Amino acid sequence: MRIAVCRPQVPFAYGGAEIFTDRLAVELRARGHEADVVSVPYKWYPGARVLTQAFLWRMLDLEEADGQRVDLVVATKFPSYLVRHPEKRVWLVHQFRQAYELDGTSLGQFGDSPEDRATRRKVQAIDRVALGEASRLFAISQNVANRLEASTGLTAEVLPHPPQALDYRCENYGDFVLSVNRLDRAKRIDLLIEAAARDGSLEIVIAGEGPDRQRLEQLATDHGLNGRVRFAGRVPDEELADLYARCLAVYYAPVDEDYGMVPLEAFLSEKPVLTTTDAGGPLEVVSDGSTGLVVTPDAGEIARALGWLNEHRDEAASFGRAGKAIAREVTWDRAIARLLA
Amino acid sequence: MKVAYFSPMPPEQSGIADYSALLLPALRERIDVTVVRRGRKSAPRGTDVALYHVGNNPDAHAWIVDGLRKRPGVVVLHDFVLHHLVAGMTVGRRDGHGYLDLMEREHGVVGRLLAHGVLDKRIPPLWESRPADFPLPTFVLEHATALIVHSQYVRDHARETGFAGPITVVPHPAWPSPDIAPERVAEGTVVGCFGVVNASKRIPELLRATAAVRKEHPELTLLLVGSTSPGFDLDRRLQRLGLDDAGLVREGWVDETRLWALMAGSDVLVNLRHPTMGETSGSVIRGLSLGKPLVVSDVGWFSELPDDVALKVAADDDEVATLTAALELLAARPDVREAMGSSAAGLAGREHDVERVADLYVAALETAIGGAAVDDAVLRDVSAAAADVGISAETAEAREIARRLAEVELG
Repeated sequence: MRIAVCRPQVPFAYGGAEIFTDRLAVELRARGHEADVVSVPYKWYPGARVLTQAFLWRMLDLEEADGQRVDLVVATKFPSYLVRHPEKRVWLVHQFRQAYELDGTSLGQFGDSPEDRATRRKVQAIDRVALGEASRLFAISQNVANRLEASTGLTAEVLPHPPQALDYRCENYGDFVLSVNRLDRAKRIDLLIEAAARDGSLEIVIAGEGPDRQRLEQLATDHGLNGRVRFAGRVPDEELADLYARCLAVYYAPVDEDYGMVPLEAFLSEKPVLTTTDAGGPLEVVSDGSTGLVVTPDAGEIARALGWLNEHRDEAASFGRAGKAIAREVTWDRAIARLLA
Repeated sequence: MKVAYFSPMPPEQSGIADYSALLLPALRERIDVTVVRRGRKSAPRGTDVALYHVGNNPDAHAWIVDGLRKRPGVVVLHDFVLHHLVAGMTVGRRDGHGYLDLMEREHGVVGRLLAHGVLDKRIPPLWESRPADFPLPTFVLEHATALIVHSQYVRDHARETGFAGPITVVPHPAWPSPDIAPERVAEGTVVGCFGVVNASKRIPELLRATAAVRKEHPELTLLLVGSTSPGFDLDRRLQRLGLDDAGLVREGWVDETRLWALMAGSDVLVNLRHPTMGETSGSVIRGLSLGKPLVVSDVGWFSELPDDVALKVAADDDEVATLTAALELLAARPDVREAMGSSAAGLAGREHDVERVADLYVAALETAIGGAAVDDAVLRDVSAAAADVGISAETAEAREIARRLAEVELG
């Protein structure tokens, strides 16, 4: 089949959704399909620009390419699912969350003006139309499916996908806790830094880049943690796999995350995951006392939990192995078979 | 957001008053609502948007439409057919010319001639004899900035009249099922029918179907609750069909508590009508809350009820036969009744949940207030980009852009 994998692209940004869609195209090709990623630049501000940018997808004609039929499109996240196609499958990464559960929070975008309120409603209206057109509707996690049903009444099948391909392995349970994430406020890496300030035995490695880096570095400096918190930036795949292989545990505590690949990556490296009770998607695989620890989003609680893992390394290893059994069940073979069925 | 809320309110005897009493607490948790006192025609100062509940009864709604005509706003259209309301606000106010003009505007010269016939008492009032043929909604729609309706049926009809503003379909909220002891009026299967007793509620057809079903299922009893319309000779019909006390239990108007008890004590609820005025039914909504299997006419909003909740009967030549088959099925199959009842309760809790309904109201109001400005901004953006690359208005490309915008409800 000729398959177009559709994703919006914020220029100069590369994150989980990009890794997912690139990998999906690779995996489809590996199974004999002709697959390509179709991306359109995306900007969601100011004002009603989010709608005109979304509308760009509606004007695309993906039924044919160079005189040959495109059999199927796989749209992934807002606004790529506005694309028209008789065989539109949506594998939903997330909707435009500022128009939904983030509205009215510090992570929201829309103010109280009539225009902002109405723009938010228009986003919801086009979601109902565009997602309602899908011939099949999947969500990457139960969390995303729940949000979709609550906001639009549409039901999606939950279809998780594997994390990026790395040389996953476990070498030891070292002396540092690893954070792998984009550095923005919603990922709450500041809580990890605050935890390190409370427990002098904790060493932290923070992998990733993002707009919150300067604030986080300042926070570490203010706490006098420069020797114990290392900002590694965006690291190459080999180095990332090496960090996973040698860390004690992985910290992953975003606010109501869609799904989150990091727990599965940690599990494939046999590492336990520390997350929070309000993390959303990660809670579908991280179980307290089974594959990791789940605590309230509080620096003191996080410090205590990481301290416990440091002192109970056998349990940490056991959690990691239990996680690995879960992560190995999530395969591209299974995901693609369901996607194309 | 400050909303001026125009609606009949309890203790007024009106389904829409009951509706507002149910909705308002949930709405007030979300927005600042001022209920406008009956008879006042102006919204309070500082109002962002006025919300007008409009139904067909002039006694309940004429003052509300007066307010609407003074200040356009969002209309909750509870009925599509508004002829009775229009007649009350024209003929009823000694404004015969107003009635003539409205009939002519919507139905041409023929409409004006018919209206003359009505005013001269040469033909029966059209609002009683043929309202569905002359619905006269434009009298209200022309002042509405946006519509809230309860069915796709009314939405589609409003669009057919040329209404171009936003229309949001918001389900009728469901009352919570009260903690009330069911009142059983007979042994065996009780089929309850609640509402005014007259021909347009298909009571003659229901009586004939009941008589037919009782030949095979003498244990079935029809419970008929509601006042009888003047001129409808119920007793003579019952006598002719041989529906005696054993087969029928008759109750007149009952208060709310007894209504719920009798409904809860019924095994099946029947709610028929033809023609439809585009209305919903508070009785059907109560039936959903109680988890009762339903038999309804296949018309308007009733057609949109899911098939696993309601058996639908078309008002055609086979109406009595279809109705008979539906009642026979439900009399003979308690498992079907149970499955349908369970689906009904699920629907009430899901689609008709009052919290969800209030959320949809807020969405509709926010769209009504700021939506036009947002549409303008999108259109400016898109048309400027199109013009930059030489696409001018009235070209095939421009039409395609307009079509795509409309598909996703932009512009």
